[in-house]
Amino acid sequence: MTTTATLTERYIAATVKSLRPDAQDDVRAELGASIADAIEARLEAGESPTDAERAVLTQLGDPGILAAGYAERPLHLIGPRFYLTWWRLLKLLLMIVPVCVLVAAALGQTIAGAPVGEIIASAIVATGGTIIHICFWTTLVFVVLERTGSSTSIDKWDVDQLPELTENGPGRNELIGSLVFLGLAVGALVWDRLRGFIPAETLPILNPDLWPWSIGLLLLLIAAEAVFAIVIFRRGGWTVGVAVVNTILALAFLAWVLVLLLRGELVNPDFLAYAVTAGGDGFAAGDAEASGEGGIMRILAVVLGFGVAAGVVWDIADGWIKTVRRRRP
Amino acid sequence: MNEILDTHLQELRRGTVVLACLQLLRTPGYGYGLLEELESRGFATDANTLYPLLRRLEKQEYLTSEWNTDEARPRKFYRTSDAGIRLADTLTDEWRSLTAAIDTLTAEEN
Repeated sequence: MTTTATLTERYIAATVKSLRPDAQDDVRAELGASIADAIEARLEAGESPTDAERAVLTQLGDPGILAAGYAERPLHLIGPRFYLTWWRLLKLLLMIVPVCVLVAAALGQTIAGAPVGEIIASAIVATGGTIIHICFWTTLVFVVLERTGSSTSIDKWDVDQLPELTENGPGRNELIGSLVFLGLAVGALVWDRLRGFIPAETLPILNPDLWPWSIGLLLLLIAAEAVFAIVIFRRGGWTVGVAVVNTILALAFLAWVLVLLLRGELVNPDFLAYAVTAGGDGFAAGDAEASGEGGIMRILAVVLGFGVAAGVVWDIADGWIKTVRRRRP
Repeated sequence: MNEILDTHLQELRRGTVVLACLQLLRTPGYGYGLLEELESRGFATDANTLYPLLRRLEKQEYLTSEWNTDEARPRKFYRTSDAGIRLADTLTDEWRSLTAAIDTLTAEEN
């Protein structure tokens, strides 16, 4: 008999322990009587005491569920009231923050002159940690809201929140914008070579040695981009093939910039010398201070490289986003 | 397939247990006794649903309770309060109008 008594006692204790102290004694007594009644009914039907108790407790089920019923606690982490708000916020944060952390961590490590492996490793570790933190803390806030029965108005929806319909077809504006931008780029290249942007000095910013081959390659890329923009307009929108070509063109441009930048061939050495002289003592002092990171010019080169890379990545992502949107009905 | 059917039936029955309790407890009753009576009257309910439900209705003041220590086993007896009787009447009216509405639906069908 002792073991059977223990089972019921254990069941009641497990149910009661998570209830408010003032409700515990009452529930304990009532549940004890109910279980005893049920066991008694089974004994009268001819069951053995052990079987009867086991059957009754099994029917009552997990004491955690029973306790949640008594305490009117939810048996879910985030219920329908907060789920969508939680999910939207989480998506928004995950779209913005990890990318920023990734770029910032990589930029910092590159400026500090870390080896490539370390740059990649520490950027990935920082980004992974950020993702975990975002998921955990956002969810925790909503779990607390759910548990405290908060009645904040963040879950109210009204029609003004409906998202704008995104335009699927590429507009004429997009085409004109691309062509004008590419035209300006060509103009700037030629102007830089022939006249220079610095008043009173005919000093090109880009290395004159890049002419004709490297610049020719760049002009080819620009021409390809222009043809590409017209093709998109003619075909009436983005497709997987178009997005692939866009990705290849963008990566080609990135490769062009990075190779020349890493070889130190992109910028005119005379222009750098001119800039250092024009900077005067202040520049020299700043350069000395930054010498541990390879000097101001190296830092500027790193920042330029990251800037171009960020622009290229965005261009590629934008193409794929438009493609996916268009495929959705 | 059976699971889907069960869910639909459960959805339809949800709420009837409250009404049945309020009606039955016009004469005082205790947990296990009420469970048996509901079962025999065709309102089969799980014990782990009924016991918390009784306390919830008590908290909402539709039921009153009293410990009866006259017998060897002390039991908590519940009784429908005046507010509980009014609630039971409202729910019964609602049930009747639903029944009438469903009758007209099936009548049109034939």
